[in-house]
Amino acid sequence: MNNNLLHVNLNAGGEITRRNLLRLAGGGFASLAGAGFLKSLGVNAEELKRQGRSCIMVFLNGAPSQMETWDPKPGHENGGPTKAIQTAIPGVEFAEYWPKLAKLAGEFSVIRSMKGKEAAHERGRFHLRTGHRLLGPTRFPHFGSLVAHKLGDPESDIPNFVSLGNTVSSGFLGVEVAPFIVNQAGQLPANVKAMQTGARQQRRMELLSLQDQDLVAAGAKRIAHEHQELYRKASKLMTSLRLKAFTLAGESDKTKQSYGGHAFGKSCLVARRLVEAGVPFVEVQRGGWDMHQNLWQNIPKTAGEVDQGLSALWGDLRDRGLLEKTLVICLGEFGRTPKINQKAPAVGRDHWAKNFNLLIGGSSIQGGVCVGETSSDGLEITDRPVSVEDLFATMCTTMGMDPYEELITPEGRPLQIVSEGFEVSELLT
Amino acid sequence: MHERFRRLRRRFTFCVACLSGVLLITSQCIEAAPPRKKGRNPANRLPDLKDSEDKLKFLEQIRSSFPTVKSRRRSTYGSADLDEQLEKYISRETRTPLAPIVDDATFVRRVYLDVAGRFPTSAEIKQFVSNTAPDKRSVLIDELLETEEFARKLARYWRTVVFSESNANRNSVNPQAFEDWLFEEFHADSGWDRMVGEMVSATPKRKKDTKPQDNGWHQDHGPNNFVLANERKPELIASATARLFMGISIGCAECHDHPFDKWKREQFHEMAAFFSPGRYYMTDQYDPSQKSVVEAKFLLGEKPPKVLKPDQRRVAGAAYLIYNPDNYWFARAFVNRVWNELLGDGFYSVDSLGPDKEVMHQLVVNRLAASFRYEKFKPKWLYRTILNSRAYQRETRTIERTEDLFTAVRPARLRPYEISDNVEQLVGENKGLSSAINRTFEQDPSIPQRDLEGSIQQALLMMNNGTLNNKLINSSLKKQLMKMKDSKALVTEAFVSVLAREPTAEELSRYEQHIKTSSKRNEAVDDILWVLVNSSEFITKR
Repeated sequence: MNNNLLHVNLNAGGEITRRNLLRLAGGGFASLAGAGFLKSLGVNAEELKRQGRSCIMVFLNGAPSQMETWDPKPGHENGGPTKAIQTAIPGVEFAEYWPKLAKLAGEFSVIRSMKGKEAAHERGRFHLRTGHRLLGPTRFPHFGSLVAHKLGDPESDIPNFVSLGNTVSSGFLGVEVAPFIVNQAGQLPANVKAMQTGARQQRRMELLSLQDQDLVAAGAKRIAHEHQELYRKASKLMTSLRLKAFTLAGESDKTKQSYGGHAFGKSCLVARRLVEAGVPFVEVQRGGWDMHQNLWQNIPKTAGEVDQGLSALWGDLRDRGLLEKTLVICLGEFGRTPKINQKAPAVGRDHWAKNFNLLIGGSSIQGGVCVGETSSDGLEITDRPVSVEDLFATMCTTMGMDPYEELITPEGRPLQIVSEGFEVSELLT
Repeated sequence: MHERFRRLRRRFTFCVACLSGVLLITSQCIEAAPPRKKGRNPANRLPDLKDSEDKLKFLEQIRSSFPTVKSRRRSTYGSADLDEQLEKYISRETRTPLAPIVDDATFVRRVYLDVAGRFPTSAEIKQFVSNTAPDKRSVLIDELLETEEFARKLARYWRTVVFSESNANRNSVNPQAFEDWLFEEFHADSGWDRMVGEMVSATPKRKKDTKPQDNGWHQDHGPNNFVLANERKPELIASATARLFMGISIGCAECHDHPFDKWKREQFHEMAAFFSPGRYYMTDQYDPSQKSVVEAKFLLGEKPPKVLKPDQRRVAGAAYLIYNPDNYWFARAFVNRVWNELLGDGFYSVDSLGPDKEVMHQLVVNRLAASFRYEKFKPKWLYRTILNSRAYQRETRTIERTEDLFTAVRPARLRPYEISDNVEQLVGENKGLSSAINRTFEQDPSIPQRDLEGSIQQALLMMNNGTLNNKLINSSLKKQLMKMKDSKALVTEAFVSVLAREPTAEELSRYEQHIKTSSKRNEAVDDILWVLVNSSEFITKR
């Protein structure tokens, strides 16, 4: 069932608002509305195309090793004891810990030549989520906030950016498109049931709005306006029919099992439900990748959960016909040293930003492409380096957003979404 | 710029020599050792400095030979000098007019929040507003600075600052002991230098045959918790020391040269070497199987004598941090944090200063920092000076441009524990509610106020939390309000009790109207309490 139907709002004049109509159209009802009618509303093809697009970002907190994920180096001492397995892409091998994704590899793509600039966690997590380095007082927004800003319905009754776990925020774009953080995947957000309903609640909200206006008069414009916005959003969420997308209600045991009983699997399943309910951006996380020590002791379990959850998510999105409009990207903040360290009690790999890898697929991204190559010792990129900025240009393009558009910061400074990057054209269909 | 650097370099070298001299001379004082023989490698005559008492005694010796303390020079820099200097510099930056000074009612609310960490009670407000003494503001400031609440406010703040980025195992730290120790120190108006000296030089060791949670790391000894919060790891301690006590962010230099600043990777590791329990190794950036030994060297180039043992080396590190007169960052970082807490903006972001050019009104903050040092780093002196200034007592305004900084006070979000305290003041103690508020409003106190934002979850909690709302409609305040027949008096009392101020004429008539048009007075009162508790003002300092 298409949940987009559930939130058609009428404006004061009783007309269906333009945004919602577009959502209807994007949800596969374009033929009902009629292209001529849409044209009369001033909708261009470009805008129509990007409606209904979503993105799921799977972030591997702590930075996974490229050599134990999708760029193994068996036979070289830097490769360690990790074995390689054949994927569905001829000539491309994954590390042995990823059997499920290896079988699906023909449907998405790998970038093995990511070239980062940050090798500290906080700076890397910022760079890889915003496309900008942490620099100066201006905070660039999370890519999810950008998507929410560009593609989200500002009147939506459910946040346009949901993150299962703490993440980078919306920076200068403000609370309007800040991530809604969920700490327990599969549960309703706390305190969503209203104390009062109907006219009395409405009266309270009116009085509250006036009260906040008094703080504006006292000089606290920013805090008060933000407060009003948050209460408006909270009120909408409380009565939203789409709230159940946060839960696992109605999912069969078989489905739940396929995603895995662990927190990561549940997060992936919730991500699918949220995207299905029309949320344009969802972030999902699995931590524990900062394996300075005990790398080979820990990797089977950590990778195993992600392999299971992510492959189930992929298959589910495909089977439900959501893949063509959903970008899925799986990455961490940087890579790990190709040379193995000497840490006790068991060795691991340290921080490394010179080259790392990631998975990207869905939306208009080609399947089965392996971009770039690293040397057999893993120390150098030998073919087609891809910068973080190139990656973000590609993400923007496939989401139907102009990567070179300028955003204006509250201080009036224009900032390009991507300033020094070019889309990876071989990935785009 | 380069010239200035070279000059600074030369001065650093000189002061390093002085400090090393101090280390050796004071060691002679302690042990009354025979005069040092000439030779390339002087023998290590320092006491072991293994326990904290020895460390403090030793730091105290260095302190007593510290130029600003030794000279017994006292600062004559007061609030009026501060205002004069600041206003002069502001007028060069902007034409935005300075905001007017707040009225008594706003002042009393603000100063209670800033010094005692809570709203004033209705009796406290009345007493202050009706007082006609011309110096009543500074008298109230003095009174509040002597309260236990002031010491508690500062202790809680620093506890959150130190622990908000900590990933230490809960069993090996005791944040409450840390807070309680800080409380005692702030209450006694100890110098900030002593507190930091004790934190940074601590070397908590593992007790044998004891579980970690049973004080196995001596975490019940408050000052040990800075090092324990940083998991006793040299790199973490070094990074936190620079960030919290110098306001400099060098953490990323752990892995590579600082991308936008002058800090080199090697410098970071030289600093970390001070906190190593033995020889310190730096891992090669490209080949982690390779390591090289790094000798301790502080950020301004101070090198401790090679003969020092690890405990001694750590004390030397603390001394370089605090008592190197050229390390102006140390005093300034504390001043900037306090300023940031009181005015809503710092002269620079409190823990991420890059090059000095990012400092706004540099001469003012440097002067204030130098005076703080002359006043032996006494926190109460600093608070008193700022609280009595016009700069602090201006009305609030949302400041959009850097040039306009300090033309007004920036409205600030209350800390989570202050919100939960104010809630408990209304509905009585409740652990579950209090921890829900603290969790939902959690924030890193080092993030500038202008970058803090609320969340939908916070709104949902205040609007709908069952415990909060049930307790509110059954609170003693509610009962008290229900006894009042006069609606005007009722609304006034509700405002004073919840928002710590009287309603404006417009607010008064708005809520009187609401009472009149509601079918049940009981429900109208519940609505008013709900609205006030949910208002942005309830969680904001103005």
